[in-house]
Amino acid sequence: MNVAETTIVGKRYSLLRERLSHDIERFRKFTAVLIKNRLAFAGIVIIALFTVMSFGAPLLVGPYPSQLQRTTDNLPPSSAHWLGTDWEGFDILTLLVYGGQISLIIGFSASIVAMVLGTLVGVVGGFYGGITDLILARMTDFFLVIPWLPFVLVLVIILTPSLATIILAIAIVSWPSTARVIRSQVLTVKERQFIERSRAIGARPSFIVRKHIIPNVMPLVWAEAVLTVSNSVFTEAFLSFFGLGASGPDVIRSWGVLVNESYIHLALVQGHWWYFGPPGLFITVVVLGFAMLGYGLEEVMNPALKRR
Amino acid sequence: MNFRRYLLRKAVYVIITIFFIASLNFLLFQVIAGDPTYVLLPRGCGTSNVTGECPLRAQLIHEWALDQPLIVRFVTYLRNVFSGNLGTSITYQTGVPVATIIAPRLSTTLILVGVATAATMWLGIILGRISGWRRGRPADVIITLSTLFGYSMPSFWVSLLLIFSLSVSVRIFPVYWDFGAYARMDLLSAVLDYIWHLILPVATFIITNVAWFSLTLRNSLTDVLPEDYMITARAKGLSQGQQLRWHALPNARLPLVTASALYFGWVVSGAIVIEIVFTIQGLGQLTWEATTSFDFPLLSAIFLIATIGVVVANAVADVLYMFLDPRVREA
Repeated sequence: MNVAETTIVGKRYSLLRERLSHDIERFRKFTAVLIKNRLAFAGIVIIALFTVMSFGAPLLVGPYPSQLQRTTDNLPPSSAHWLGTDWEGFDILTLLVYGGQISLIIGFSASIVAMVLGTLVGVVGGFYGGITDLILARMTDFFLVIPWLPFVLVLVIILTPSLATIILAIAIVSWPSTARVIRSQVLTVKERQFIERSRAIGARPSFIVRKHIIPNVMPLVWAEAVLTVSNSVFTEAFLSFFGLGASGPDVIRSWGVLVNESYIHLALVQGHWWYFGPPGLFITVVVLGFAMLGYGLEEVMNPALKRR
Repeated sequence: MNFRRYLLRKAVYVIITIFFIASLNFLLFQVIAGDPTYVLLPRGCGTSNVTGECPLRAQLIHEWALDQPLIVRFVTYLRNVFSGNLGTSITYQTGVPVATIIAPRLSTTLILVGVATAATMWLGIILGRISGWRRGRPADVIITLSTLFGYSMPSFWVSLLLIFSLSVSVRIFPVYWDFGAYARMDLLSAVLDYIWHLILPVATFIITNVAWFSLTLRNSLTDVLPEDYMITARAKGLSQGQQLRWHALPNARLPLVTASALYFGWVVSGAIVIEIVFTIQGLGQLTWEATTSFDFPLLSAIFLIATIGVVVANAVADVLYMFLDPRVREA
């Protein structure tokens, strides 16, 4: 290996390192800002706590109870069953710890689907403008105005309730708000000078979208995604309360399903607060956690918001 | 002059939207749901006669052209809906026109939603004013966090908690709402009883929705406060209350109207669940009954009415906005 070759390799390596270190530096700065933002940090802590609890459930409370593990139903809290037992004689605490899995899986999946749809509509409409934008924007407004709960109920009941259809239905009611936010962001990014320069040197629209528009709206997409997870968990709880949750003898009951079952089996009039109380509290805290991280992210991404 | 043109444009927009809502409804219930003769007709006979024919089935097939091609069905559907025939219940009250089932329920829901929205807005304005004026101070932090917490609570859960604490544990408020009892009451005691029953549902609305208004007002107030005219107001020696009342609030109020527009869709969703838990015989409870009995024509009609209601409410809020903002009004 001669000298020239080593320097090229060395140069390439140092370039890579520089690039990486730039990314690492950016990431470090980003996390530092995020942690400094108390709202976002509290959100992260809540999300981490509940994710670890739900998916670490086998370690915490043992395997998901099978039909054989039923005991007396409707027991009050005791040392054996900290939160008593449900109408079928299952330990409520065990169900509660596992319940987060379904809520979180639905929340994340629905958010991903809604993000892809919303970003696509927002970017295409905002960037290409004209009649395309007019149609897409009108469509977004139309779906935005439909009251979300009746719409999602109708969708799920028509598609017959299952994990997949619930995710799809929630995504269908969630994409419009994302599309609207992304579109307005694309409209401002589009007017920036580097886009014009890029056009001037002959870049094709598809190239500009991929290399300039998407990277510039991505931070906002992330913030929107987190907020959509919050909404999805919330919506899933409502669906489950309506008896349209994913159900079956072997399906893990989500928190919403637990509240629904407690309500149907009269835990309220019997005063069994340990049955309907905790699942509702968990829904609230997780929804709040994602909302806090989402608002925090928005604040970090959008400095104009912070200065207000 | 301009205002009239604006109204006209808005009306056309609403009509087009309603047309699309009806089309979406058709698409959902007659295309995506599968075979309409299976989904939209009663299983077996609603009222069977000696010959073993099903008059109701035959009548419905004819009425909605269910044995015809898609296009014919679509046109028939639109004609029926826009002439006021919303369908016939197939399981909940078999054979009864859906409109007859829905009509008495509508007023109950409208009263609940109206009272609740007014109360929520009133409290939201008070809280938003405090936290906007004292941004970053303890009062603001407490108000913002607690309203956000309330906003994150599912309304069915809040209803359960309120009933549990104030109706079951401490027996202050009634658990069950008996609408049949009003026939036996005189007007005054009926009204008082109605108000008594409304307190907890309205409280649920306030807890879960007040953030919508308080946060909007807080944010628009903080936009307004650094403006030059606010500095002028302070410089000319107005008290804090006067600055707020005369200069800050009139300008900060407008986004509230826009916020209330998006709020209607939210309020309808909230009402559905609250009615179920508080046994209020409105549209929401009917939604629950239609869902659990798989009464698709009934569900379809409820969805149609709820959505149209939200669209109309939005349009009214838009017009109101136009009316309230002199810059827009005189432009």
